[in-house]
Amino acid sequence: MGFTFEWQVMLETFPLLLSGVKLTIIITLGGLFFGFIIGAVTGLMKLSRSRFLRKLAGIYVESIRGTPLIVQVMFLYFGVPMATGLRITPVAAGIIAIAVNSGAYIAEIVRGAVQSVDVGQTEAGRSIGLTRIQTMRYIIWPQAFRRMIPPLGNQFIISLKDTSLLVVIGVAELTRVGQEIIAVNFRAFEVWLTVGIVYLMMTLSIAKVLQMTEERLEKRSAR
Amino acid sequence: MIEIENLHKSFGSLEVIKGIDLHIRPGEVVCIIGPSGSGKSTVLRCINRLEDATSGRIILDGSDLSDPATNINQVRAEATMVFQGFNLFPHMTVLQNVTLGPVKVRRMSKEAADALGIELLQKVGLAEKAGSFPDQLSGGQQQRVAIARALALRPKAILFDEPTSALDPELVGEVLEVMKQLAREGMTMVVVTHEMGFAREVADRVVFIDQGIIQEENTPDELFGNPQNPRLRDFLGKVLSHG
Ligand SMILES: Nc1ncnc2c1ncn2[C@@H]1O[C@H](COP(=O)(O)OP(=O)(O)O)[C@@H](O)[C@H]1O
Ligand SMILES: [Mg+2]
Repeated sequence: MGFTFEWQVMLETFPLLLSGVKLTIIITLGGLFFGFIIGAVTGLMKLSRSRFLRKLAGIYVESIRGTPLIVQVMFLYFGVPMATGLRITPVAAGIIAIAVNSGAYIAEIVRGAVQSVDVGQTEAGRSIGLTRIQTMRYIIWPQAFRRMIPPLGNQFIISLKDTSLLVVIGVAELTRVGQEIIAVNFRAFEVWLTVGIVYLMMTLSIAKVLQMTEERLEKRSAR
Repeated sequence: MIEIENLHKSFGSLEVIKGIDLHIRPGEVVCIIGPSGSGKSTVLRCINRLEDATSGRIILDGSDLSDPATNINQVRAEATMVFQGFNLFPHMTVLQNVTLGPVKVRRMSKEAADALGIELLQKVGLAEKAGSFPDQLSGGQQQRVAIARALALRPKAILFDEPTSALDPELVGEVLEVMKQLAREGMTMVVVTHEMGFAREVADRVVFIDQGIIQEENTPDELFGNPQNPRLRDFLGKVLSHG
């Protein structure tokens, strides 16, 4: 039983994937939007003077980083509704899962970037009478944010790929759409190859935008 | 203006300040000299409450810094600090560096703060750099901006921590010139410095700190001309032969 590669299948598959691409992007962007908010809050909690807040943030970050995303997704989609009686749609569960998961990694990005700003900046801010919050807002955060851009770009790529795990809860994102096409035409080789190429196109585009942003920032700081 | 009474400061088990009393009058210029590691910066940082004193009292223009009821942010703005490493805010223009304090701490309108900022930049000779960023300036220029930033709060006193130590020798003069002008205008200044020429010329009083206590204090003429403490003699012998 010989295998013949069929270009035609790839060309046919491509347009069929677009709805999946769209959902993948929506879930990634939505997840990262909330993930950044969660990450910023937890990252700052980790730097807080309050031991309680630091511990709380630590427990969250360690729990997420120490468990597989797929378990988190299943827990959120199948486990939580069982305990609470609240049903959520697969897409909402996907966005929440990506947000909660990326939030833990973004917390570390935020913490690292804030800590990397020279302590002299904080001292200069405090010495002219700014409060701790004002110093963070006007002096530390803007400098830290620039340093967050490269690792945030990385997290963007990671989270985008992570959305493919949502296949387990039936979200019609790119991977799921690929599966459904194969169920009809049985051309696993061509379809998965196409799906892979589409992911690669997305991740390479993000990497490119990231690189351009970094170059622009570098030019500005080398003024 | 600034009253320091029996100040002690320890970092963990290391006692760095071992009982310092210092009263600084309005308009007075006090230079603090002493070997490195003797606790000079720590004294300044306790006045500005960047460090909390372990014990003792510091009263700044009538406000007790150790009293929990004191609004520490407002008090800090009354004795602003100029750092050895400038510590300008790199993401802000020169003018924004100067106006941040007036706008956020003094609640000044942006227009009034900009006018004040330009006036102060003129004073330090850098009005034409208002729109530049700190990394476009020389070290001497950056330190003059830092002085304008410290002045912008209209503080009762300014604390200088080795303001010229990080500068190339040829840039030291322009910063000292600005400081001399402030002294002539009656600003209360506490200056930690290794510039003995500046101390001799500008200071009303020179304080020699070593091993966490004031070993000797006097007018510059007396302290440099007729040092009593053997440590001071030793210290002056070393720095003057270098400079
Ligand atoms: N944050 C700190 N933690 C521990 N030790 C410190 C700290 N700051 C200063 N010291 C120590 O206190 C001593 C005095 O420091 P400092 O006031 O900076 O001296 P000076 O300004 O006279 O050179 C030094 O031995 C220094 O190592
Ligand atoms: Mg020092």
